[in-house]
Amino acid sequence: MKIKLKQILRFPEIASIIDEILKLNSGSISIFDHEGNCLLGDLQALHTETYPILLHNQSIGWVEGDKEAATVASLLTYLVNREWERKTLAHETLERYKEINLLYRISEKLSAVLDHKSLALLILQEAMQAIRATGGFVINCHQDDEQNQQCEMIVVAGECSQLSYPLSEKISEAIFDFLQPEIINNLAYDFRLAFMASQISALLFSPLKHQNRIIGFIVLFSTKPVSYNASDLKLLTAIASQAANAIENIRFHEYRLQEERIKSNLERYMSPQLVQAVINSKDENLLKNCRKNLVILFADIRDFTTKCEELPPEKIVEYLNIYFEEMVNVIFEHGGTVNKFVGDMIVCMFGAPASLTNCEQRAIEAAIGMQNRLQHIPNHWIRDNFHTGIGISSGEVVVGNIGSPHHVDYTAIGDQVNVASRLQSLAKGRQILVGRSIYNATQNDFSFKEVGIVKLKGKKNKIEVFEVLY
Amino acid sequence: MSLSILIVDDEPHIRLLLQQTLEELEDEGVELLIADNGEAAIAIIKQQKPDLIFLDVMMPKMNGFDVCNAVKNELGLSDVFVIMLTAKGQEFDKQQGEKVGANLYMTKPFDPDEVLEKSLEILGMS
Repeated sequence: MKIKLKQILRFPEIASIIDEILKLNSGSISIFDHEGNCLLGDLQALHTETYPILLHNQSIGWVEGDKEAATVASLLTYLVNREWERKTLAHETLERYKEINLLYRISEKLSAVLDHKSLALLILQEAMQAIRATGGFVINCHQDDEQNQQCEMIVVAGECSQLSYPLSEKISEAIFDFLQPEIINNLAYDFRLAFMASQISALLFSPLKHQNRIIGFIVLFSTKPVSYNASDLKLLTAIASQAANAIENIRFHEYRLQEERIKSNLERYMSPQLVQAVINSKDENLLKNCRKNLVILFADIRDFTTKCEELPPEKIVEYLNIYFEEMVNVIFEHGGTVNKFVGDMIVCMFGAPASLTNCEQRAIEAAIGMQNRLQHIPNHWIRDNFHTGIGISSGEVVVGNIGSPHHVDYTAIGDQVNVASRLQSLAKGRQILVGRSIYNATQNDFSFKEVGIVKLKGKKNKIEVFEVLY
Repeated sequence: MSLSILIVDDEPHIRLLLQQTLEELEDEGVELLIADNGEAAIAIIKQQKPDLIFLDVMMPKMNGFDVCNAVKNELGLSDVFVIMLTAKGQEFDKQQGEKVGANLYMTKPFDPDEVLEKSLEILGMS
């Protein structure tokens, strides 16, 4: 920090004090700066004595004159030292002021960034500028399925690319065990990082922490000799903390988007309440293929093909959509999951993906509900022509995402699926037919009529058929 | 004649911070002039005709708009570059600033890098 005598003498108050001193003693003085330039008084005057003006015991000028020159030199020495202190304080304050500005600027910019890479780059550039670094990088850390820490480089800036090997990876390995921000001003003396001392002079880094978990690191380094200090590290830590929060925000945002996508896919198959239950469930295997006891329900419009000939196809599609919407609502109301539509047929199940209690009762209530709802659709053509037969069966099936990579259905495969389908094909319009397992589970809750024993196509075993009376 | 910048603010810490920000220019021979109110500023402006003025808006006695108006319209110093400084959160009256001929305005807390860069540019030193 430079203190110039010339600047101090420019203060009017100081000039007038010196003037007063001279008047009191009726003497004359000359003031010179350290280069010998005369700043005040007569250059030609012959003075006997010379008194230095000192800043930290070093001369920054002198006063020539008689005895009053000593007083002026002491005064100026005092003022120069005070000015130096004032400037030091001002310098320090300005540095802090710049830091506040930097953090303010970063937080303003951060709110506009929505991806990891641009965010990391922004943070890195700002930090490099503020902390006199010639290069730096940001690493992302996360745990893999086997609970091992995995690190990946998000972004590099500055001189990283000019170094002779993938330095950033080596540094990541070396610093990974550090849990706290750290400065390493002389790499040669640090056994963990000594291997890169020929390329890097000093380095400082801070972990990016979110809720006490390390989610990454920000690393700055200098290839030029530099000595990083505690305030550099403090600033980097503050930047790192802002960065960590912003990174978590982005992660959360991405997670939410993904959740929304899953949710909207699931809502095609089941009620919004059931979707929420699936999302809230901690069971990650919920949608994976597994054996499960389920109730399967098939519903199909009788003589649909003949009905189709009576109306233009556009009208049929319109009516089918009204019909499906009403039926699906009833199924959802009873906790069912729609499996698929095949032509005019609806296939649905109770008990997957989320387990349900009283699946058999729910299925019969849904079936009765469907038949009743159909009678109240506010369209007389639909009411008069769409007569649905429903078949219900239960048992162990394999359920999960089944299909090719291009088209996957959440569906059930197994004997009982075929049984339910067969029961449905036997049912006349407005009839609900069920198998023995359903009858056993619900005989006390509903009225049934025994229909008889039927042989399934391609099956040795015959099935007992019951009709639900409603 | 050497270049000069006048800093006008009633708050001592702002004066100090601006002075420190512009220290680099001082080393290059630019003279830094300081005033802590509008009237003192006018006196210095009349005498020294600075090339650039950092002018606080809210000051007792004579506010920044009045000082700017005096510089640009009454003293005939329209080529002096005037930067108005206004505290963040206070709505800077752009219309009034424009009416009195201010060249630019910055909000406090000011960005020291921006202040230095702008000053170098205005004084033709960048």
